[in-house]
Amino acid sequence: MPPLPPTRQLIPLAIAGFAVTAIVAFILVVLFMSWFSNPPFGWGNAPDQPIGFPHTVHAGSAEEGGHAIQCEFCHRNVTTGAAATVPAVEVCVICHKQINGSNVTASAREQIEEISPDQLVDIQRVLDRHAESRPIDWERVHRMPDHVRFVHEAHLRFLTQGEPRTVTLPVGDEKPINLPVTVPEACSVCHGDVANMEEVQPQQGQSLKMGTCLDCHRENDVSTDCTVCHK
Amino acid sequence: MKLTRRNFLAWAGIAATGAIACDLFDDELRVQSPALIPEDLVKGRDNWYATYDPSVPGGQSILVRVMEGRAKKVRGNPRFPTNQGKQSAAADAVLQSLYHPDRIAGPMLRNGPRGSGRYRAIGWDEALNRFRAAVDDRGDGMLLITEAQCAGFAHICQVFAEAFGGRHLRYDGLDDSAYGAAVQDVLGTTRMPWHDIAHAETLVSFGSDFLSTWGNPTAYSVAYGKFRSKEHRGRHIHFGSRYSLTAANADKWVPIAPGSEGYAAMALGWAVATSHPESSYVQAVTGEAGPGALSGFSPDAMAGMLQIPEAALDGENINRFFEHLAHDYVAHGGLAIGGGGEAGAYSNGKFNASAALMLNYLLGNVGKSGGMQPDAGAPIGSAPRNAPPATLRDWRQAVSEINAGRARMVIVHNADPVYGLPSGVGIREALSNENLAVISASPFLDETAAMADLIIPDRAGLENWGDDAPNPAPGYKVYAVQQPVVNPLPDLDPRSFPDILLSSAADLGRGDMVPAASYEELIRANIAELGADFTEALKNGGWWDEGDTARGADPPSGLLDSVAGMASMPQVQGSGDFQLQPFAHHTLLDGRNAHLPWAQSTPDPLTTVAWQTWVDINYTQGKNMGLREGDVVNITTANGSIQALVYLNPASPPGIAAVPMGGGRQIGSDYATGRDARESSNVMSILTVAEADGSGGLAWSANRCTITPANDSMPVSKLEGGYTSREVGAHPAEQVFKSVTDGEGH
Repeated sequence: MPPLPPTRQLIPLAIAGFAVTAIVAFILVVLFMSWFSNPPFGWGNAPDQPIGFPHTVHAGSAEEGGHAIQCEFCHRNVTTGAAATVPAVEVCVICHKQINGSNVTASAREQIEEISPDQLVDIQRVLDRHAESRPIDWERVHRMPDHVRFVHEAHLRFLTQGEPRTVTLPVGDEKPINLPVTVPEACSVCHGDVANMEEVQPQQGQSLKMGTCLDCHRENDVSTDCTVCHK
Repeated sequence: MKLTRRNFLAWAGIAATGAIACDLFDDELRVQSPALIPEDLVKGRDNWYATYDPSVPGGQSILVRVMEGRAKKVRGNPRFPTNQGKQSAAADAVLQSLYHPDRIAGPMLRNGPRGSGRYRAIGWDEALNRFRAAVDDRGDGMLLITEAQCAGFAHICQVFAEAFGGRHLRYDGLDDSAYGAAVQDVLGTTRMPWHDIAHAETLVSFGSDFLSTWGNPTAYSVAYGKFRSKEHRGRHIHFGSRYSLTAANADKWVPIAPGSEGYAAMALGWAVATSHPESSYVQAVTGEAGPGALSGFSPDAMAGMLQIPEAALDGENINRFFEHLAHDYVAHGGLAIGGGGEAGAYSNGKFNASAALMLNYLLGNVGKSGGMQPDAGAPIGSAPRNAPPATLRDWRQAVSEINAGRARMVIVHNADPVYGLPSGVGIREALSNENLAVISASPFLDETAAMADLIIPDRAGLENWGDDAPNPAPGYKVYAVQQPVVNPLPDLDPRSFPDILLSSAADLGRGDMVPAASYEELIRANIAELGADFTEALKNGGWWDEGDTARGADPPSGLLDSVAGMASMPQVQGSGDFQLQPFAHHTLLDGRNAHLPWAQSTPDPLTTVAWQTWVDINYTQGKNMGLREGDVVNITTANGSIQALVYLNPASPPGIAAVPMGGGRQIGSDYATGRDARESSNVMSILTVAEADGSGGLAWSANRCTITPANDSMPVSKLEGGYTSREVGAHPAEQVFKSVTDGEGH
């Protein structure tokens, strides 16, 4: 077999080089996005949700037109377990059985006048899901890597219980905080002021990166042993 | 293929690219809401809402603990002026009406013979169209039958019925018409007076079981606790023919002949007047005639009617006995209560009640602390005065209207006259008329609701708006507010009945005749009329003004002559060795709570019997008849016969057969029906149709009966008696009662 011309000899090498470059670039991009975005691959923006859920209406203060529902009314497990948990569709129906656009009571009519047609469509979607016993798949906004163990209950217990005290948390603007605080105030330390977000945005409170965790643990005399947080 | 470094990198790249391209991370980036609430997730935070339960006697303001949108617990509202933080066992049981498996889920249309209880589900659009068409077509012949709740609900029902030319009838299974008529005559109002037991020095009661089911038993029990725990412990004497919870609590119980409570009150009045002849109160009541005006009611003249056992007279002659009672019990700070309930359910019931009311004027306590407080009037001036509950006379008239075809439509809501009225009234037969349209809005099926062609279930009490003017009120104006504290379960689809009435009136062109577009709107308007803040009223459970009291310390002229003119012994229906004394069960009441397992399983406070119908008869008399506890007996009146289990009670007077109401349901919840007829029976079904004089009410205490063994027996379901108690301990300070089983030694 006659030897390949020099230019054709370079082709496999070029392909291999291109592939290696692409793979390395891909890995770098993944690492870059994983570091700077939360959730991964989202570039820090809130993902589109299957059903619009305005936290401003539900958790916002009454003065600003919200209903001031406590965070833990929907995220039922947040004060008792590791995961905050998202509410079951049935929890939505506890209220939206009444607030649904077709009830005869005057109180419901008054509330419905404050609801836009788009929101009524979303409410109907929720009711339909419940009637059909179909779950809702929400797009995750905050997510810890799989090798991290984060227990909401322990952090909320630190922030919402115990004797009155003043601490400085190395997060946010690092102003002294008088503890204990309410559950919604404790949630906002890491998640930001969710009650005033039409759509929940990531990284409005903390970056949720390891450095933040370690700083706070050190500041408050909590163990920084690897196994405390890592599986 | 050989795994070289180059191959490894190539495959890794392909795998990563494929993973991205195939969206394998999607599940990682999603979080799922399950359709139903997982049972193992509990938030642990609760909310307490003030609301109101009008279904118990006198009404109670309650706080309801709500978690996750579900009501978990009821307790009394400590701010409310009547029940003051306490609640009855019947109010506790109201929770079960929310999550009851036999609750009607949505509108239904009959698809079987009337009364068969066979229905098919329909939608609300069809149900409301049928309802409105029936009202439009037959409204001028409408009988709207509801529970005895007053204030806004009665206002809406009354106005709705009248807007179409119909009538509103309020049903009260615990017919107290005679007492209402007496209150109207003596105090000039349809509403009951308040008895300030807490601040009284001594208390004398006549027949009424005010610590269990009469008046506002929870509020009176709270006051009774204060009455008993004062530095100078209040003393209490009770006249009555039945060993009731009130009789059991009294310092002294004087058993008297059934229906003679009025004579006992008059005899005590005589004793008060003769011992204080110069009293301005005695002069006012007797029209300046003095004690001589009461000479016809001296105890020795009454002895044959009262039939007080010798042992109860403390070895004295009857005149001295009453004089001592007048001196010891009532002359100083005394308060008289009663004459209603079972004491008023005789042909002479109005006399019994009037005599008890008049005694307070003789004692001079009317309108004073520790005395009888006349009602201050309805809190809402703009609402029409609600008619009193329908009497037996009204029901007979309604039956005749149905039978004559003048009444062409019956709408029934939370009222069960088919069960609660004597079968001789004929209401079941009248409702069976196929030319009659019958619509039920009750959330549960019962004997009357089962006669309906169409069922449009109302929301349960804790899911609904409501209001009430508690009766009796504590001497001043009180407006109670009931707010919805939870929504119905997702698989239930009831609608507010008063809102249906209001929206239907508007749709049928009568919108200008009803007071509001919704019940909530009416309540908001009422609270605004009172000058109160809506949110504060919801938080407090209502509105009240302690300064807005009634005046009326002076007796009406001619009161003594009027009362004395009514004096008579009760007309007894039928014959037999026993006086049949039905009484309201302390949790089932007249049977309205029979579908609630908690109400069924709450032990009777005196006998501890639960779930069963028993007949309480004197121990010695029963033994002489060869009866033992648990024996099944036939109780026969002139109108029929039922069976019940014998409970021998040493405290019961001979000749009295006391039977609780509430048993023997034939239609409705599984918890109330399908029971063995030997242990669950409806005592009201065998009563004779007899009216009380002067009120038209049902004389439900005035039947004689025979008791014959059925040669059968069943275990009595009760707590006490299974174990015996013995006093142990050598030193008095160490003595305790220890429960031991039969045959067990010390």
